[in-house]
Amino acid sequence: MRAVRAIAVNTFREAIRDRILYLFIGFAIVMVISTKLFGMLTVGDEAKIVKDIGLAAMQFFSMLIAVMMSMLLISREVDNRTVFNILAKPVRRWQFVLGKYLGLVAIVAANLLLITLVLVVMVLIYTGQFDLMLVFAAAMTMLEMSVLAAFATFFAVLTRPILGSLMTLAMFVVGHMSADLWMLTRQLPGTFTRAVIAVVYYLVPNLERFNFRSEVVHDLPIPPAAVGWAIIYASAFVAVLLSLAALRFRTKDLK
Amino acid sequence: MTNPVRLRARTLVSLVIIGALLGVAVGAEVELGKISREDPLGRELLYLPSPEMLKILSLGNPGLAADILYLWSIQYYSGFKPDERFLYLETIYNLITDLDPLYFDAYRIGALIMGIQTGGDQARLKKSVRRLFDKGLGNLPGSWQLAEAAAWDLFMRFQDQGAALHYAEMAAAQPDAPGRIKRMVGVWRDKERSWTIDDSIEYWRRAVDDAGDEYDRTMCVSHLYDAVVAKDRKALAAVLAYYSVRHGSCAESWEELIEAGLIREVPLDLVGKPYGIESSNCTIVAFKKIRDL
Repeated sequence: MRAVRAIAVNTFREAIRDRILYLFIGFAIVMVISTKLFGMLTVGDEAKIVKDIGLAAMQFFSMLIAVMMSMLLISREVDNRTVFNILAKPVRRWQFVLGKYLGLVAIVAANLLLITLVLVVMVLIYTGQFDLMLVFAAAMTMLEMSVLAAFATFFAVLTRPILGSLMTLAMFVVGHMSADLWMLTRQLPGTFTRAVIAVVYYLVPNLERFNFRSEVVHDLPIPPAAVGWAIIYASAFVAVLLSLAALRFRTKDLK
Repeated sequence: MTNPVRLRARTLVSLVIIGALLGVAVGAEVELGKISREDPLGRELLYLPSPEMLKILSLGNPGLAADILYLWSIQYYSGFKPDERFLYLETIYNLITDLDPLYFDAYRIGALIMGIQTGGDQARLKKSVRRLFDKGLGNLPGSWQLAEAAAWDLFMRFQDQGAALHYAEMAAAQPDAPGRIKRMVGVWRDKERSWTIDDSIEYWRRAVDDAGDEYDRTMCVSHLYDAVVAKDRKALAAVLAYYSVRHGSCAESWEELIEAGLIREVPLDLVGKPYGIESSNCTIVAFKKIRDL
């Protein structure tokens, strides 16, 4: 595990030296702070608008960071030939993949932490209350991002950086639409077509399973089972994707 | 080697050209602002995507999509000229509330904006307002605030006391509804013809029993007092009239009625104070002083 940790820490350090990360974080924080402006435009509950925009910004910028950073995840090491230095040490290829993944997750987590902090302070200013549920929403967004980061890692191993990023982005979009795919199975005629769509549905992660933003904004009760199963769902997906990535990387010709 | 003076002059000329181009852009914008154009948005609203489509496009943020539409609608409709923009108002607020069915403000403000329209078919408008409130109350069944807003809108704007009472009773039925809503229902009920004095007394007695605080109780007792006085007045007025016919003049005091065998004792009001007789017009007088209770 020391090797994995070293690669993860190195990936994190490398990423925090990247200016683009600060650009995204800066944008995200400006967006959360600017919710005050949107709040001023509304009639009624300003806190709702602040929470909605803040939580959406949290998700959107975390996704952008995951997608953009995935471009540099493995390709930079391969292009700079530093991967050979790493793999020459007692580091196995799956450890390299896992370390890269954990580094990416750490970057996204740091970004989420910052945005959550700003959002919680904004809501505290508006309502005078510390909304613990915002932290819960951020944690669930982190769960969603951990799945997305696994896809990013998988695509980074599988293909070229730009294509990998585009595919991760596509996964994010499709992942939020997959519930509608499931609805389609009920409307389409033919058992075979339904079965095919059902298979596609189960292969693509349903990222809406990690979406508790509406419940948080409207103070609705959240079934603990939904949270528990979401954690299991995310963990299983991450495990599958990282295993596939490790399998592919094991036989990948890095020259 | 480039001559530094020439280089500086070139930079200066470039800056002047850039400044001039910027001036052109600003001028063009000012001129464009002066040209009045048809408002195509009103017509384009017809082609707004369905809530299902917008939900998909929002990528898990339908609440944000609802906020954006809501903020836009407030700015767009705040000019409230009675023109075709209002034709699509119900569509817009249906869309917002489909995206976020728990959006209280959208129901409240949507109905309010609909209500400020003075032109057009008012009956249709009222139906639209009621549809929006009904949708809101369907999605927020525990919201006495929305039901109260609906009651006041229907009462004040459309003068529809029946509909107002329907919503007021919905609000009053909520366990966390403040006492004033129950009092509002009672007052509106008291104005109904089908509502008898006995119904009113029964209602206000229950309201006194259920009162949440001292102020609420005092107010309910005040209404109960009025209802009891109304009932007593009706009964005593008949006795006074009978006495007047028999004696040719109105009784000066209750003792005269007791002596005449028409009543057994001095009639007391709800708080135990005797009623008075105003002999000049032969009516009963109540000395309401609820705070002494």
